[in-house]
Amino acid sequence: MQLRELFVPSAINLDLAAETKDEALKELVSCLGLDGKSEGILYKMLKRRENLGSTGIGRGIAIPHCRSLVVTRLRVAFGRKLSGLDFKAIDEKPVRYVFLIVAPPLEVSNQYLPVLGKIAQFGKEADVPEALAELSSPEQFIELLEAKDL
Amino acid sequence: MDQQLELLLEIQDLRMQRRELTDGSTDLEAEVFDVKIEDAIRSLDEKVEELAERLARGIRERYRRIADKAPRVVAPVINGICYGCFVAVSTARASEADRNLRVESCEYCGCFLYHVG
Repeated sequence: MQLRELFVPSAINLDLAAETKDEALKELVSCLGLDGKSEGILYKMLKRRENLGSTGIGRGIAIPHCRSLVVTRLRVAFGRKLSGLDFKAIDEKPVRYVFLIVAPPLEVSNQYLPVLGKIAQFGKEADVPEALAELSSPEQFIELLEAKDL
Repeated sequence: MDQQLELLLEIQDLRMQRRELTDGSTDLEAEVFDVKIEDAIRSLDEKVEELAERLARGIRERYRRIADKAPRVVAPVINGICYGCFVAVSTARASEADRNLRVESCEYCGCFLYHVG
């Protein structure tokens, strides 16, 4: 499965209201359409993962991720905050692009780690931060993934 | 949701995170995210133990019995099927009204049950 097939426009937010890392995680979790209790559990688990080490991989990109029982299939979301968020990233620079990945403990198709790897690779491409900054619609985000054959 | 069940869910998710660190995403977490794997495992183990101590005595004893034998202590129930053993749970247990409002176990595999969706 291609990465672009996993992203739905309702889970692509090009103008996050969040001013902090925690708020950004909550805002992205809320894009997934879960009930309130599940959102709370998922948020807590993402925070626990962040406590093991920031998922800010540098160059303005973060990839918070975890597995949790509250989702029944692999879910992804993308959020952009052009003014930047303090994510305690590896390079200590503000994070402007956040890719959220959550998966159930068991997946038949076992896509979680390959998707995590693909997004990490995508984030390392030299032209990607600039391309993400220029997006003006969720559809353009999907088109960018298509252009990268992802 | 029952608070004890919520604790069990959190414990299960942390156990899964630990398992993934040692058996799956080790390289990715270390190389891409710069996670110190041994420190992370120690931290997760401490957190799991801390949460387990907050379980009510009876539930904690059942939890420890299951946790000693199997990687999964909580199994999701999806469309009436326990995903711990893939056997249908009884209709009464799967009813909408009291889903996740009390701690229940699968009568076949013994896992605690969490109704998803």
